[in-house]
Amino acid sequence: MVGRRILISAILLLVAVLIEVTVLAPLDLPGATPSLVLVVIVILAGQFGATTGAVAGFAGGLLLDIAPPAAGTIGVSALLLTVVGYATGRFAESDDRPWWSLAIVAAIAAPLVVLAGAIVGGLLGDPRVRWDEVLGLMLTSAGYALALGLVLALPLRRLCRWVVPEAYSR
Amino acid sequence: MRDTRRSRIVLAILVLISITLIVFDLRGGGITRPLRSVGEAVLGTSERAMASVVVPVRNFFSSVGSIGDTDQRILELEQENARLRAELDTVANDRARADDLDALLDLVSTNDYSTVPAQVIAVGPAQGFAWTVTIDVGSRDGVERDMSVISGAGLVGRTIDVGPTTSTVLLIVDATSSVGGRLSGSSQIGIVSGTGRQDSLTMQLLDPLALVDVGDVVVSFGSEGGRPYAPGIPIGIVAEMRGTEGQLTRSAILEPYADMSRLDIVGVVLRAPESAPRSTLTPSVAPTADPTEGGQ
Repeated sequence: MVGRRILISAILLLVAVLIEVTVLAPLDLPGATPSLVLVVIVILAGQFGATTGAVAGFAGGLLLDIAPPAAGTIGVSALLLTVVGYATGRFAESDDRPWWSLAIVAAIAAPLVVLAGAIVGGLLGDPRVRWDEVLGLMLTSAGYALALGLVLALPLRRLCRWVVPEAYSR
Repeated sequence: MRDTRRSRIVLAILVLISITLIVFDLRGGGITRPLRSVGEAVLGTSERAMASVVVPVRNFFSSVGSIGDTDQRILELEQENARLRAELDTVANDRARADDLDALLDLVSTNDYSTVPAQVIAVGPAQGFAWTVTIDVGSRDGVERDMSVISGAGLVGRTIDVGPTTSTVLLIVDATSSVGGRLSGSSQIGIVSGTGRQDSLTMQLLDPLALVDVGDVVVSFGSEGGRPYAPGIPIGIVAEMRGTEGQLTRSAILEPYADMSRLDIVGVVLRAPESAPRSTLTPSVAPTADPTEGGQ
């Protein structure tokens, strides 16, 4: 059971990272790059709970940190997305939530990750952080995360249930 | 309850590992180097494979996007038109890409640069604030760290990380990038730094009394041995002077020749000419012109 859960999470995260850097970032959309990886982590955490969410967040973040052309500090995305995965897992465990609530969670988490990334970057002395752009990046990232979440929440949930049916016995 | 405790412990462990990674990466000394190498080897290769599928589609969509909204009134015709024109445009797009390559060859052959052509396959997320791209050539193609990367229009950046089949390029507009620049007319020198914005660079002129006009061309000064920057590559034109009285240096705002958001085919300079080029290279494309018309 754990093996299948890890397998589906690993495949989804790897594909999400590749799509994010080879498809979404080169599109050069206004503002932020749609954070597909974050949306996938939120959905995985919503399906499998806080422990898997935290592990998926760490793994997805680490992949983002080391996937070329990443130039930032290794560990920053891993740290932020671990927290996102854990928090989403706790949120989803507490009650029966409608499917679209995960899209809302993604739309709240995405701008917070942008802001936290800028703050951590600033604290670590990254000369690249541009504070005048942070607000625009936050707003656009929220919009993209909401859209991606609404599109992906149902299909990915179905995929998760199909691959790991045991996780839904209750 | 037990599950909650377990997830908290997992969270704590992962947060600790992340912070440890951050600390080690910031300290340098190559402890996190193996991680980046794995990233380059595994993810870089996957990105390459992905790009072979994605790049034609990406070009297709960018050409569909540029068809415009001329036929919005006639819905039926619009769809068919879009399809037919898109087919045509992909051909035109291929031609434009061939023109890109021609412009690059043109720039390269004017002087004795030895270059290897490359395709941009991945771009860093905007919220990372870094202006970096991945190209599909690596150490197997003779690329090494700190080599100039150029496009048909001008200087693009330099390689900062080289994997077996991919390399990471730091673009000149990145806030951590600085290039030695020379005004082609007056041969005044200065340091061209990125601003983190794709359309502007700042140049700190070393001579506060230098005569600089808007529209002057800035070319790379060239580093020792042509690494990281080969000499004589056009960087951009002066768009604005920031002459602050009383400061030791003056600065100019440059507009880069190469369009950083639409990079497609670039070249890595493997070897610079033995001596600095005598004639200044000026690309055939004016920076104000539409970059998609490159080389026409």
